Formats: sequence, structure tokens, C-alpha cells
Amino acid sequence: MKIDLSQFRQTFLQESADHLVSMEAGLLQLRSAPDDVDLLNSIFRSAHSIKGGAGSFGLNNLVRFTHSLENLLDRLRSLEIQATEAVIGILLQSVDVLRGMLEAAVGPDSGAVAAMPVAALELAERIEALMPGEAGAFKTITQDAVPQVEDGRETKLYEVQFRPDQELFSSGTNPIVLLRNLAALGTVSCCHLHAEELPALAYLNPSQCYLSWTMELASASEEHELREVFEFVEHLAEISVQRIDAPEQPEPGQATAQYPVVAQTFAGPAPARAQAAAMPMAAAKKSVSGGESSSIRVAIDKVDRLIDLVGELVIAQVMTVQMVEDFEPSCLPKLREAVASMERNTRELHERVMAVRMLPVGTLFQRYTRTVYDIAQATGKQIRLEMDGEETEIDKSMLELLGDPVTHLIRNAADHGIEAAAARLAAGKPEEGLILLKAFHRAGRIVIEVADDGAGIDTDKVRGKAIERGLIGPDSQLSADQLRMLIFEPGFSTREEISDLSGRGVGMDVVKRNVQQLNGAIALTSVLGCGSTVSIELPLTLAILEGLLVRVADRTLVLPLLSVIETVPLCDGEIVRFAEQGEVVVIRSESVPLLRLSRYLELAPEASNADAANAEAKHRRLAVIVEAGQKKVGLVVDELLGQQQVVVKSLERHLHKIDGLMGATILGDGCVAPIVDVSGIAALNLFSLQLPNKMSRQVLSSTQSVRAASI
Amino acid sequence: MRRALIVDDSPSMRQMVGFTLRQGGFDVIEAENGQDALQKLQASVVDLIITDLNMPVMDGITLIQHVRQQPAMKSKPILMLTTEGLAAKKEQGKAAGATGWIVKPFDPDKLLLTITKVLP
Repeated sequence: MKIDLSQFRQTFLQESADHLVSMEAGLLQLRSAPDDVDLLNSIFRSAHSIKGGAGSFGLNNLVRFTHSLENLLDRLRSLEIQATEAVIGILLQSVDVLRGMLEAAVGPDSGAVAAMPVAALELAERIEALMPGEAGAFKTITQDAVPQVEDGRETKLYEVQFRPDQELFSSGTNPIVLLRNLAALGTVSCCHLHAEELPALAYLNPSQCYLSWTMELASASEEHELREVFEFVEHLAEISVQRIDAPEQPEPGQATAQYPVVAQTFAGPAPARAQAAAMPMAAAKKSVSGGESSSIRVAIDKVDRLIDLVGELVIAQVMTVQMVEDFEPSCLPKLREAVASMERNTRELHERVMAVRMLPVGTLFQRYTRTVYDIAQATGKQIRLEMDGEETEIDKSMLELLGDPVTHLIRNAADHGIEAAAARLAAGKPEEGLILLKAFHRAGRIVIEVADDGAGIDTDKVRGKAIERGLIGPDSQLSADQLRMLIFEPGFSTREEISDLSGRGVGMDVVKRNVQQLNGAIALTSVLGCGSTVSIELPLTLAILEGLLVRVADRTLVLPLLSVIETVPLCDGEIVRFAEQGEVVVIRSESVPLLRLSRYLELAPEASNADAANAEAKHRRLAVIVEAGQKKVGLVVDELLGQQQVVVKSLERHLHKIDGLMGATILGDGCVAPIVDVSGIAALNLFSLQLPNKMSRQVLSSTQSVRAASI
Repeated sequence: MRRALIVDDSPSMRQMVGFTLRQGGFDVIEAENGQDALQKLQASVVDLIITDLNMPVMDGITLIQHVRQQPAMKSKPILMLTTEGLAAKKEQGKAAGATGWIVKPFDPDKLLLTITKVLP
């Protein structure tokens, strides 16, 4: 039977990724407790599990690499080798290498044939160098030898003696199984049972074995194959296997010759090494990024509660059906009760299902310990990262999108914020810099804060730079806060030299844009000489948003309330038209481009008869001013309908992606209302895109016909 | 139907061993460490135990020792999952009363073959 295990590959990869995270966290902890055996044991176990699983999927490179890693960890946990900074550094790099190898293994059957990455080869050599006693030993990986089987093997006659110890049963061994397996290898011509040692019944201990056997067996198998039957009881029995048809006995050396040792070196043949060099890890990584797992792990109690709720819902539903079937006016109160209970359960079910997508931010925060460690190593600064509120939960998709912006903030704080040790001492601060990463809830939203006790932002420098870059005029009167916010402007960098770590000054504007894409807001406070704090405020989930309902022509549209700055009535006098190109409205001497949603989405009444024109003229229109990524746009709507929370549903799953719409929602009356994508609209070139959008027309007519069948 | 208990802290290993055993006609119970296994053993009777050695809370060797102390399970076949290179562990396992062992990397066919060595 050939059993295919590939279906478990995904689980293995995910599990290994988790092991790497805990290894990394463990290694970083190890720096302050290098003798912690428990910690070393758990790191060892992680490496061990990865190795164990990798072998089952033919990931040989991974097996070989973890094997040498495991050797080192084994010596660390037996305290033979000290976990010095250098050793921990190598182990951390090993974690990176393993991560790369695992990522490369995401595709089916990839990794099995790929050459060992160069980084892995180099690290393996360095790991080896740490263990002088065993130098070179891990270059040789012995594999179980497969004995050569010749065709048309001759049948040989053997005598097999099996004399178990009395304690045989204590190992759970059943001698009958052994004898049967032996018999299966050939034909038993004679089986002799030795029962001489069997005591009288009164003295017999049933948990002891008193019997032994001698068998004559004609078999085509080799001697070692017969011995293999007794592999597990070699220490519990006397076993002899002898050929009785041939006079000559096998020479003593022959037994080893039958187990040829297959040796492979780590480095492999030269061409393989060259090939490995040609394939950098990044390339392998890139090719598999599409296959990233989108599974989610849910605590079992969350699932149990869901099942309970569904159970209650089913009961309530059955009750309702029964009452409706034999309806009498007297059961009306009961029916009401049943419906109310269904409503309650449905609402709770909704909340709980949403909660399934929530993950603690700690899963994201963990990785920053490493980020800070790396920067501290590279810059020679002393930096401590403290975290708070890791258990705060946030939508999984949001968590993934937050990774990059927060990384950037942490890097900025470590690289630009925290000063070198000497400068800190001179300023009367502790030598070790502190970065505080915090998450907490505030008013139904989640806040993530990155604070450092570094130099803070020098507003004079910011002003100088901004003038130099032409971001502000030389005589602009800006408050300190306004000046600080300039660092979020594209192309702004306060630091003279460009650093490898936090990259060029491209960071902060990208961070701001990313946060805005998540419907979030970013704020900065800074005290010169005392440090800076950047806080990101986000909705708890992308699946629900606070919407402003507006009417455009005969349709209801939803605008994300967070992007709305204000609503102004439109008077013709304030609208400036550029022939055939677009129009702007002037608000407090600021020109804001206008977008007529009715025209853009082709919702305007098609008949341009006098009635319609009159009605339009009488109607006082409104412009909803929205902001996205520094740009303001005025969206022309007919009426404001109200404000409510809406559940965002994807349009792409059913229809086609439309520029300017981020999805749709189903309103209380069952109608489908499109949700306007403000940042998408702001990114449009409004002065060339006033033409009707054909695609959206089609989509809107189809959404119109879609009625909500379910919640 | 024969029933086997798998003890391993790695869910993927439990999945793979479990899958293989089910293919081999076993009813499968899982436990994630030695202590968990002892609890599961109080609730159900098994024909075979397959255990990893390196586990948190209670390791495989300790589990085997505990199992062997219980009269009803004195002669239960116990297979340990070991890794080549950890010969010392294997010896400890044998001394504790393991019936046999399976060397990782885990191979389903090898597992089923090994089971025939210890189970009628």
C-alpha cells in the first residue's frame, strides 16, 4: 500500500512556521538567560519537530540543515557549549535560513529537488565550526542502506533459535507475532517448542515467558532479513540464525558489507553548488508568495460556542415551525418569544462569527523583537523593545496589512529615534534606549502605538528641510504640530545620510498611505530630547464600516464616514467649470475638484426633458468633501440619508472590479447599496475621467436586480 | 476494530500517523503529551500505543514507564518514534519497556510494516 501524505504538507509548513517563531522568541530570550535548560529544550524540540516532519515530505535539504542545527542545540542544552551572543547570532540566522527553505517548500514537490541554498551551506559550516569535536561529522549523512536484492535468489535452509528472557512480555512483545513473521519469510519445515523450563501451574507466573523455540526454515531471504524479525527483542532474547545447508559460515566482515553506507556531503558536487549560488533565496521566495496560506486558527472554545449557538438557533427554528403549523391565536406570545430568541441568537452568532477572524496582535508584535535586535546589532546601539496589550484582538486581514507599516515605524524609532549610547549618556538618559509597542482599544477602535525615548523630532530641522524640498514656502507660519506632520509628506527625510536599515526617507508617507487604506488614521507627537510617539488608529475590522448613506439619482450609495470631512451645499456660483475637463468648487478659498457620482456611475436620469431639468434645478445639491491621501474631492450627491454601520461585501466575487467602488452592502430593506472607494476615487485623474464609466453601468444595473436572499 | 493511541506534540505528525493508521484499519485516538495520553488511556482501551519521545509536560519515556506499571497494560505493544542519532534515547525507551521503535522520518509504509512486527 502506498500512502500519500502530501495532503498534510500544508499543516506541516504552517506548524513549522510557528516553530520558527517560537524558536526565534526563545533565542532572543536566551540572550538574558543563556543557561536556561527549559528554554534550550523547547528550542531543541522545535528544531527536532521540523526535522522530523520534513523527512516525511522529502524535504531533504531541510532535514540536513536542521540535523546540524539540532546537533548544536543538543550540545547547548547539555551545556557543553555556551550560548554566547555569537552562537545565538548564528542560530538566529539559521532560523532565517530555515524560514527561507520552508517558504521555498510551499509549492507542491518543490524543495525536494532544489539545491541547498548557499546561505544554508555557509551557515552549516559555521555551525560545524562551533563543535570542534565533531567537525566534519555532519557532512556525512548516513541513510538507511537498502540491501541489494538480486533477482532469482536461491532458497537457503536456516535453523533459527529464539530463546527469550523471562521478562519478554514486559516489553509488550507477543512471541507468536514474531514466529508468524518469521514463518512468512519462507516455509517452516520443523518447529520445536522447548517447554522444559515451564514450571508447575502453582509456580507459574503468567507474566513471564518460559518457552523457547527452534525452527527450520527454507527461505530465499538473507540472514539479516531473518534477524530483522527479531529487531525489537535483540536485548530480550538469545537469537541465533544459522544456515544449515551450506558448510561454510559467512565471514565476520560480511555482515557489515551488506549494509553499504551511503555517504553524501553537505556541499554536494560542484555544479550543484554553483546552481545553488545562482538561485538566491529571494527568487525562490517570490515564486511562492502567491501560494501563501490563508487559513486561520481558531480557539476551540470559540468554535464550541458557535456550535452551541447554531444548536439554539435550530431549536428556536423548530419551535417556530411547529407553532406556525398548528397556529392558534393563543400561541402568539409564545411565537413572539421564539422569534425574539432567534433574533437574539442570530445577532450573537453574527458577532461570534466576526470574532473568529480576530487574532491577538501579539502574533504580529513577536517578530519585532528580532527587528530591534538586528538594528541594535548593526548600529551598536542598546535598545530594548517592550510590548503591551499583545492580547488585543484585531481582524486577521488587517493584521497582515499592518505588518509593513509597523515594521517601518519600529525601524524608524530604532534607527533614527534612539540615539547612540554616548549621546544618550551625555543627555542624561539611560544608556539603553527603549521602544514601547502598545496596542489598546479606544472608543471602539484599536490603537497601535510605537513610542521611543530617543531624540525626538527637531522642528527647526524639519522646517529647514521642508523649505529646501519646496514643501513649504520660506515664510510659512506653521505650528510645531503642523511642522512635525510634514514628515508624512512624500519625499521627506530628516536624516542626512541614508541608512540601510530604515531605507531611504520613503517611509513615512507610505506608512500613512497604508494606514489610510485600512480606513485608519495616524498621529504623531514628539518632544525634542525626550522621544516620539506615532499612533495608528484603526477600525476593528475591515468587514464592517461606519457609512454615510447618500442618494444619487435613484440609488443609495454608502460613503465611508471616516473619509468624510464635511458636506457643503452647492451653489452654481461657487462652481468653476473647465470646458469639457471638469469642475472645481471653491471652499474657503481652496479649490476642491468635483466628481458628479451620478455621471461617473451613470446614474443620472437619462431623459433630459424639461421636467427633469427643472426638478434638478430646484433641487439643492450637496457636495460631500472626502479626503484620501492628502487629496480632497467633492462628491456631488442629491441627498444625505443617514449614517449606519454596514457590512462590506465584495463585489469582485460576484461581478467585476469597478474603479471607484470598494464593495457593496445590503441594507435593511434588502436593497444592495454600492460602497464608494474614496481612495480609489481620489487616485483617479478627475480632469480626464469625466466620461461615463461603461463597466460600472453594467454592474450597477446588475446589483439593482440582486436582492438579498440571505444576511 | 483495533484501536491505536498516538502521542505526539506535533499536530502534523499526529495527522500523518493517524491517517496512516486509519488507512491500516485502526480506530485512532490522539494525545499531545504523556500526561494527556495517560488520561486518554483511562477512558479507553487500546491495542497499540505509538509515542514520540521528545514532548513537553511528560515525555515518551516517562509515559512508557507509567503505562508499564499498570497491570492491564503491562504487555501492550508500545512503539516509540525516534530519530536516528539519538541512540541513547532508544536505549532508555527499551529499558522503560517499549516494544519497538520507528525511526523518523516518518514513512507510512514503514509504520504499517513495523506494526505487523508487534501486533497479531
